[in-house]
Amino acid sequence: VDTEDRHLVEAFRRGEESAFAALVIKYRESVYRLARRMLGNHEDAADATQEVFLRAYRALGRFDGRSQVSTWLYRVTVNHCLDVRGRRARAAADTVETLQDRLAGRAVEEEVEDRQIGRRVALAVRTLPPRQKAMVVLRLYLDLPYAEIARIMGCSVGTVKATMFAALRRLRRLLVEEGVWTP
Amino acid sequence: MTPRCQEVLDRLIEAATGSVPPRMREGIAEHLAVCPRCRDEAAAIERTVAVLRTVEAYTSPPGFWIEFTERLQQRIAAGRRSPVARLRRWWASPRRAWATSIAALALAIAVAAIPRLGPAPSTPTDPVAVAARALITETMTRTLPSLAEMLETMRAGLSEAGEPGSERRPP
Repeated sequence: VDTEDRHLVEAFRRGEESAFAALVIKYRESVYRLARRMLGNHEDAADATQEVFLRAYRALGRFDGRSQVSTWLYRVTVNHCLDVRGRRARAAADTVETLQDRLAGRAVEEEVEDRQIGRRVALAVRTLPPRQKAMVVLRLYLDLPYAEIARIMGCSVGTVKATMFAALRRLRRLLVEEGVWTP
Repeated sequence: MTPRCQEVLDRLIEAATGSVPPRMREGIAEHLAVCPRCRDEAAAIERTVAVLRTVEAYTSPPGFWIEFTERLQQRIAAGRRSPVARLRRWWASPRRAWATSIAALALAIAVAAIPRLGPAPSTPTDPVAVAARALITETMTRTLPSLAEMLETMRAGLSEAGEPGSERRPP
């Protein structure tokens, strides 16, 4: 475990609340970015980040130090985002209005977020199946090594590589279809 | 596709995302120099990764973290007020969990031992008995069984000596 994180966890166990605040400040941006890529909009990502840190607060006393704090937080984030997406898919409660609202919100976001190619690339990433998307985001946008991604996703390094390979092939096809580049 | 091609393909993503050691990268480059198929695949992967990385990183809106922190603190405080949450948190700490487990075990042993020990000795209420109890020392209590045994032996001896016709007569 990262020495600084270990000290913070120990301090939290001794009752120092400021240690938890320090962990939040250290990891909030990366947790938010992961949730944002996984869920696709700011509101859901903000809620997910809240939920992740609230769970972390409740469970930090039980943290055994067998993994990095960051790995643990990313695993909680990925699992929460997969749950949210699963619930959303199952609920099928999207009315025409909410879909329109979401599309309108996305249009504004995308305008701010990026121009042309970036927007298409972001959309292509969003269309990936949830676990593929999680691995792509962890590798390409959070720069995590394969071994850590495997620990976060609860699978082998080989599975991560194979999934990444499939995801990149799929993305390449989508980007060609979208006209981002010609093969 | 040769086994070497498969091996190189397995490592291409790692190579494209920059996480392979330089020596392995050289090995991949050597294979790509002689295998057009893998070369095309490598170029496509590198290009895909490069395009994917052109997307700007998401940044949170200004002022978001202040609001976020306040909300998180409120939710933590609300959880702290709940007795169930307090108990859960108290139990969650490994050190406290050990202490609690030991205390619970000691309590269980104590409860289990009550029927075996029987009722507690009664306390005398009579003033004379209270005064007599004060004179009884621990040593006396410890020696009581042997005193009782000695008394019993003496009694047995006396009764044997007092029996009629038990005296030995000279032949």
